[in-house]
Amino acid sequence: MKVAVYWGCLIPTVQYGYEMSVRAVMPQLGLELVELNNVSCCGTPIKSVNMFAALYLAVRNLAIAEKTGLDDLLLPCNGCYLSLSEAKHLLSQDGKLKERINNILKEENLQYEGSIKIWHTINLLHDLAGEERMREVVKHPLNGLKLAVHYGCHILRPSTFQPIDDSENPKKMDELVEWLGAKSIPYPEKLDCCGYMLLLSHPDAALTFTGLKLKAVQDWGADALVVSCPSCQMMFDMRQKSSGATTGAKLNLPVLYYTQLLGLAMDISTERLGLNLNRSPIDELLQKVGLISTATSP
Amino acid sequence: MLIKARAAIPYSMSIIDLTTTKKPDLALRLKLLAKIGEHKPYNCFQCIRCTSGCPSMKMLELKPHEIVSLASLGFIEELIASGTVWACATCLKCKERCPQAVAPVDLIFALRNLAVEKEAKVPESFLRSLSAILETGFVQKPQDTVTRKMEKVNREKLDLPKFHEPDEKFKAAFFKVLELFQE
Repeated sequence: MKVAVYWGCLIPTVQYGYEMSVRAVMPQLGLELVELNNVSCCGTPIKSVNMFAALYLAVRNLAIAEKTGLDDLLLPCNGCYLSLSEAKHLLSQDGKLKERINNILKEENLQYEGSIKIWHTINLLHDLAGEERMREVVKHPLNGLKLAVHYGCHILRPSTFQPIDDSENPKKMDELVEWLGAKSIPYPEKLDCCGYMLLLSHPDAALTFTGLKLKAVQDWGADALVVSCPSCQMMFDMRQKSSGATTGAKLNLPVLYYTQLLGLAMDISTERLGLNLNRSPIDELLQKVGLISTATSP
Repeated sequence: MLIKARAAIPYSMSIIDLTTTKKPDLALRLKLLAKIGEHKPYNCFQCIRCTSGCPSMKMLELKPHEIVSLASLGFIEELIASGTVWACATCLKCKERCPQAVAPVDLIFALRNLAVEKEAKVPESFLRSLSAILETGFVQKPQDTVTRKMEKVNREKLDLPKFHEPDEKFKAAFFKVLELFQE
């Protein structure tokens, strides 16, 4: 089955581990990714500056995806998912707005219909690939691992924009983790924000969000934190050390993308999953699942 | 109409201070309301569900219910000048949980847009994102990075396909969009 893919800004310019792991796992599930040409930013980073321009960018990318003639579009980034699902919602409610934006899109020979279905990595794997297929591809069950999942705000809320799961009590990512043989631990901080969107205006507060959540997950005894959003990964993984310094916490928690975890369960090499790019102590996790021996780790 | 609104809202200390020293700006209030679609702030009955779930309340004392109330009363200039709207982490819990469909986060985005339009103090990095998109279509170009063993890598070394920026037509159209919004 062919699925169009829109990577956004952060994944193809810095979060290579997510792109590599998505590219590595999807073919094994029978999903062929189709690249989009001439796409741009999704609009989320400029929503604070100019809401209309942000909406235009979102609709333009949807129009490009519709031009492929495919029925499904994968948005691995939570920010992009929010931006494009909001655009779909607003234009389905407001015909005049749709006409106004389509008039500008005409200059690039584009037209937005609203026909393409959008997916995030998590509901694509959970709903489209499905439990049976997901369990089939597991070659190396992650038995014994206790994992905490972090959905990220922008694929859950608001419930009016077609979120991937229940806004207040999401279950899909927990189930995805359990299908691999691991245990998803319940923890009260599950819906807490990573703080990324405050990084530009209040960096210390942003790092405090990150540090407090990491500390909580660590204290609940999780072996790792599993994420599905490049912004969240940039906080919990890339900025783990500085968030520990900001909050005065000693943090030592492996953080990885769900697709990287899935790749491990599929026995894909850590290099192909980009796991050597994660900053957090991934080797400790690999030892626990028996993928590297204690002797060879640095 | 404004007097009615004042009477209906059990306002907090800071609003009492403002109402005795400042005059609401009704024209700016209408301009703000035009930006936020159905989520009108005057539907708020100050139940404070937004503020009680707000992560920025814990860290930066952001009070979404106060922003809604001030916007509803027309104290827009004061809201923009205070800079509080830049303390929102856009977790969207307020929008999800509001029983009156007010969406404080949308109001915050609209106020940030107004701050940019009025050339008020805006965190510079937000404007940089816009100029980067005008220049390259994205907020940044592909970056070099390092592995945990400190080996320098990039897309090519990682066997990732070449990254493409959108063409010149995109830039021309996007520039036009920005001009349209100014009108």
